[in-house]
Amino acid sequence: MLKVNNLTKYFGGLVAVNDVDFHVAKSEILGLIGPNGAGKSTLFNLIAGLLKPTKGRVIFENKDITGFSTHEIAQLGIDLSFQASTLFTRLSVLNNVFVGYHMRYQTRIWKRLLRTSSALKEEREFRRNAMEILEFMGLKTIRDELAENLSHGDQKVLIICMAMATNPKLLLLDEPVAGISQNETKNMVKLIKKIRDSGVTIVVVEHDMKVMRSLCDRIVVLNYGRKLMEGSPKEVLESEEVIEAYLGTAEI
Amino acid sequence: MPLVVESPYYMHLLIMVCMNAILAMTFILMLRAGMISLGIAAFWGVGAYVSALLAMKLGLSFWISLPLATIITGMVALAIGSVLVKNPGFGFTILTVVIGQIAELAFAHLPYLGGYQGIVSIPPVDPINIPLLFSIQFTSKSASYYLILILLLVVVLGYTAFYSAWTGRAWAAIALNPRLAESKGINTYRYRLLAFVVASAGAGLAGSFYAHYYGAIGPMTFGVFKTIYIQIYAILGGVGFPFLGPAIGAFIMIIVPEALRVAKEVEPIITGILLILLVLLLPEGLLSLLIRRRGAGKPLERLAPVARWIKGLLPFTGQKWGGAGDNAKGK
Repeated sequence: MLKVNNLTKYFGGLVAVNDVDFHVAKSEILGLIGPNGAGKSTLFNLIAGLLKPTKGRVIFENKDITGFSTHEIAQLGIDLSFQASTLFTRLSVLNNVFVGYHMRYQTRIWKRLLRTSSALKEEREFRRNAMEILEFMGLKTIRDELAENLSHGDQKVLIICMAMATNPKLLLLDEPVAGISQNETKNMVKLIKKIRDSGVTIVVVEHDMKVMRSLCDRIVVLNYGRKLMEGSPKEVLESEEVIEAYLGTAEI
Repeated sequence: MPLVVESPYYMHLLIMVCMNAILAMTFILMLRAGMISLGIAAFWGVGAYVSALLAMKLGLSFWISLPLATIITGMVALAIGSVLVKNPGFGFTILTVVIGQIAELAFAHLPYLGGYQGIVSIPPVDPINIPLLFSIQFTSKSASYYLILILLLVVVLGYTAFYSAWTGRAWAAIALNPRLAESKGINTYRYRLLAFVVASAGAGLAGSFYAHYYGAIGPMTFGVFKTIYIQIYAILGGVGFPFLGPAIGAFIMIIVPEALRVAKEVEPIITGILLILLVLLLPEGLLSLLIRRRGAGKPLERLAPVARWIKGLLPFTGQKWGGAGDNAKGK
């Protein structure tokens, strides 16, 4: 579904991502791990078009999307959920989710401005849909709250809600469980699996190895911008090489 | 009918309040899309000059030159904006100042525009004559007042359509976090440009009215100083209130000094002090008092429905104008 070929990114003289190759199959959860500064977030930004690669190609559904602008890539069905709790802080929860519907509008803009019945119908449909998402995720009761007033855990859930609203084919999740409680983490893992079961392909970056072990079908390890290895969670997390590079100080 | 007074002088002030309210609304519209424009007066001037030329050189009626001037101003904004909005943030603001300066010079030096003397004896608003039914003359101040009220209503309805449709949400998203908006599939360039064009067209409409109402226009009227006043109207009322804020801000800034008979020379000083106090004490404008009181749990029962009504008028309240800067906070 997604193929990354020889992807390289220089920041000045610094190599952030160096000749990385991997692929993601449909409906799989691929984990991306590596120590801080290994290039995971840069890799996400390269795929989503926020950064332009120095070298290499990104191929999505047999289409070369290297150099596409971010909104074009989003419209093709790749959703990037940012690392920090990146939300529209001063919009309500519901309006945050609504932003995700932007590219699903079918009616012409003048119809929406004049509020013709077809535009209003579409709006109602999205509203119902957004409510369903919020109910499914357990945020329905706080839908009118400003996003900045939510707890950290709820904000993380809201990020997933926004991602679901875009109806993505490929979801790039950057640290979905960082800094939230164990209970919330458990729910988040369930949620991510549920989203996968609905047919969405997911690439996830996370430092919590327990979560990665239970979540991922396959794991790719990055170190200093290079791919160290890839394989099943068991293989990867027990490999000497990886433990040396990364897990030596981690909890495992 | 709203606020009709006997004195033609006060009628004139009320007309100016309405027109400046339109200009302040255009400032807020751009602000809500994350752009601080200091070039609104330039587009106001484009509307005024275009409308005056259409009426004087081509002999068009006001009722034709008004929509034409609005559209032409929008097209000029499209051409200029397509370059300007590529540099959102501070770059944009500084470029709008440059555009304001260039416009002032262009009005003074382009042929047919009358140099620094400007254009005088612009035909007044043409009367509406419908045989056997009625005829409206626009010679009296009160007729002009109703005309600008109607234009104000047109702008409010038009901008409401944009705010409450998808565009308003996209603008708010872009203003709050352009990177995130972009990653949700919003073409930030195109939506910024749309805001720029829609806002400038509104300013052009006000300009067209001004030219025919006042009868004389000159380049100095449309300078950067005017834009600063437009901003003051918007900020004084509260930029979280896209329609009531400008109306109240313009009303206070225009009527109060006149009513107090403050000498013209000290007026800018008082204005400056007012503005500093305002930014320090009420950064979200006078109208934020209503909502803040309610939020603080002091029940102003009688005001609560008003506040809710005000809140209901706009899709996104409480967007801090300082927060509209374009520094991508996302990561």
